[in-house]
Amino acid sequence: MSIDLSHFDLVAENDIVVVPVDKLVDVATYLRGQGFEYFVYCCAAHYPASESEPDRALVEYRLRRLPAEDVALRLWIPSSDACPSLAGLWQAADWQEREQFDLVGVRFAGHPDLRRIMLPEDWPGHPLRRDYAIDTRHFPWR
Amino acid sequence: MAVNEENETFVHPLYEALERFPGADVGLTTADRVLTWGLTNALWVFPMATSCCGIEFMAAACSRFDLDRIGTIARGTPRQCDVMVIAGTITVKMAPRVKKLWDQMPEPKWAIAMGSCAISGDFYRDIYSVVPGVDTFMPVDVYVPGCPPNPDALFMGIRRLQEKIRLKREGKWTEPELRPDTPGLRSPAIGRLGDPGRDACTSQAQLDAVLGLDPGGGLRRPDQKS
Repeated sequence: MSIDLSHFDLVAENDIVVVPVDKLVDVATYLRGQGFEYFVYCCAAHYPASESEPDRALVEYRLRRLPAEDVALRLWIPSSDACPSLAGLWQAADWQEREQFDLVGVRFAGHPDLRRIMLPEDWPGHPLRRDYAIDTRHFPWR
Repeated sequence: MAVNEENETFVHPLYEALERFPGADVGLTTADRVLTWGLTNALWVFPMATSCCGIEFMAAACSRFDLDRIGTIARGTPRQCDVMVIAGTITVKMAPRVKKLWDQMPEPKWAIAMGSCAISGDFYRDIYSVVPGVDTFMPVDVYVPGCPPNPDALFMGIRRLQEKIRLKREGKWTEPELRPDTPGLRSPAIGRLGDPGRDACTSQAQLDAVLGLDPGGGLRRPDQKS
């Protein structure tokens, strides 16, 4: 697989590429070969179902080629589906993906160690989802 | 004779040992005074510092204020400490760890809740992950309010703790420390989704705010105005 990087505005902060879920690993592997060796972040957000759109989640990866060229890969997946993990390509993605799983509830297929990283191990639910009640009390402290 | 945490009197084992010697009971009052003096002026603290109150604690321990001059030395292990200073927000995940460290401290031991977050959770109180005050899971002797309290306030708290220890060892009943009132304490302003009491306008506004975000992302050139 090859991508013509000349179409990308690599210096702009907001340069975001929407990638189909099944192409993510291919695209990421190619970019890694092109010198994008610095994994900046992985973030995720949950969007509730509306009249026009079903319940879905956004996952975004930002990669950097030093000194200052960025590209962001964005995915839209149904929030119950799994997203392919990039932890095999960048080790830095390991904990970042665990954090997104912990707080937003996005599962990452192929992740080596998908456990909660911030909340207690027995925490019910994922608090940054839109359908999570903000005043949920956690036993026994609340 | 001394008074413990529950305001019950008990006989210290040291007195039992001293009472075996004839005539030693004459010196017991003096010995008690000396022991109290030693106890109140060697309060080694375990800084349970989790956030910005910990910075104020560090400032209090540094040379400008110098906690050492009242015998309060910070130690890195609970096993050598008399006082636990809880300085900072305690989360639901941290609370069992704090309790475990508290249980590892040898008796006699005291706790100071330093700052609004340790006292009541302050404005993190309604967040899903924050404990609303450390006195929900462990005893607290002195509350030092402030956000964060400055080193002077922490000194005041330690002096109050010394006074409390002294009065208790003299067998005088002391007023239990009251948690400072948090004005305007109430349930969360935004009810949970699907709550009958929740404002429909709020739900719609939140939904609009979410759906108004740029859904496509896509490739944008700098000359394109999105």
